[in-house]
Amino acid sequence: MIEFQNVSLVYPNGTQGLKDINIKINQGEFVVIVGLSGAGKSTFIRSINRLVTPTDGALLVDSNDILRLKGKELRKLRTKIGMIFQNYNLVRRSTVMKNVISGRLGYTGTWKSIFNIFSKEEQLLAYENLKRVNIEEKLYNRADELSGGQQQRVSIARVLTQQPKLILADEPVASLDPPTSHQVMQYLKQINQEDHITTIVNLHFIDMAIEYADRIIGMRAGEIVFDGPASEVTEKTFEEIYGRSIREEDKRGGGEIDG
Amino acid sequence: MDKKASFIPRGLYPLRTKRIFTISAVVVIGFYLLSSIITESFIIDFFIKIPNIFGLIGDFFPPDWGYVEQIWPKLFETIHMAIIATTLAVLISIPFSLLAARNVMTNSIIYQFMRFILNIIRTIPDIILAVVFVGLFGIGAFSGIIALIIFAVGILVKLMSEIIEAIDMNPTEAIRSTGGNALQTISYAIVPQILPQFISFSLYVFEINIRASVVLGLVGAGGVGQLINKEINFMNYPAVSTIVIIIFVVVVIIDFISAKLREGLL
Repeated sequence: MIEFQNVSLVYPNGTQGLKDINIKINQGEFVVIVGLSGAGKSTFIRSINRLVTPTDGALLVDSNDILRLKGKELRKLRTKIGMIFQNYNLVRRSTVMKNVISGRLGYTGTWKSIFNIFSKEEQLLAYENLKRVNIEEKLYNRADELSGGQQQRVSIARVLTQQPKLILADEPVASLDPPTSHQVMQYLKQINQEDHITTIVNLHFIDMAIEYADRIIGMRAGEIVFDGPASEVTEKTFEEIYGRSIREEDKRGGGEIDG
Repeated sequence: MDKKASFIPRGLYPLRTKRIFTISAVVVIGFYLLSSIITESFIIDFFIKIPNIFGLIGDFFPPDWGYVEQIWPKLFETIHMAIIATTLAVLISIPFSLLAARNVMTNSIIYQFMRFILNIIRTIPDIILAVVFVGLFGIGAFSGIIALIIFAVGILVKLMSEIIEAIDMNPTEAIRSTGGNALQTISYAIVPQILPQFISFSLYVFEINIRASVVLGLVGAGGVGQLINKEINFMNYPAVSTIVIIIFVVVVIIDFISAKLREGLL
């Protein structure tokens, strides 16, 4: 379980990223965070694995305040939290296998990892995870030979190889076309349901949020302005969250194609 | 027709521009004359002394091909010096390149300190380094190797830290998010991005080191340069020209191989 208690974050340049956030996210939930760009979605999600550090409040992950963690303890926390990025963030010159096995770095000694020494089990785990997202035939291809959707699937496999308890996805489909976007969201949803991994996804497409989320959290200007089950959400709700009427660009479309 | 009488253009440029050109030309020519008089060197000397040049060139020919046998050991010493110096310089420059890259070394005090040291190293010419180390460690290849290492580290760290500053930092965020530590982040997210350029620069520095080590020999830092120095002092010019020709051929061959290898990398 994740709990934000009066969490605020002010960036060094004075921008307020988060403003007094109080919220609980339960084990196994599929939460979608919506909001316009600059609303604080990224800051919210990155606070949970401490890629950014809130300046105030307490952030509990399994009853531990993670804002105090440093060095080794912080890395231990991160091994249990997988993260998927808008730009996939694969190492483009490395093979798919090396990108996926890098999910094991938090569990592996420095020297072993520098010399690429991973156990048979870990290599098998990496391969099985590639199979899960149907991209195992690209095992030894270089990451930059893959299309955007394929790279995002590799990054999902990397996250699974961490054997995480929590998956964070920061705009995972913003760089993809509609059919590929749905495919990626379906993999995330499927993993959430089969493995009961808590999943928090940032999206700005309202139709995708409604389609995939259990629960939707709306953010505006660093504050949470909506929190409720996806079933209760309508376009009207989004207009309130966004503070303006809904436009065509707020929808991904292509939902009926089903990847 | 009336206008013709009232204004006739006096050339292609305004008077003011012409005046500036004239003054600049006078000042520059004045400087040339002054420099020449003070240093007592006149271009005309070159033409007056052309017979001397032909005389000297005549001394160098024909090359003494019998001398070749004596060149090989010293030439190989030069190549060995370059290999050892380049290898050590490459190893030393890896950590320093990272410390001198702004995106990796976020502590600005250490970063500025590294830049400062680097700038100092790069202002010292290799030949001065060689003179200093010959003074410290005595005449021979060892002094040359130390001088080459410092010289090469200066070049490599400069080139590499700039390559590192230009990499895509997104993968480093991904590796950190998996719980990787600093060294793992470097070896998984940074090294794959810079490795081809790193190898290419290392070969390039090897080429530079070969040429530099020839020059360093002139001040007693080992290798084939030392041989040139000795034969010039004995005025054994046919031997000198043999050495120069052999060095030329070997350097061209090494540069060619190295250039081909680097082409294959990038």
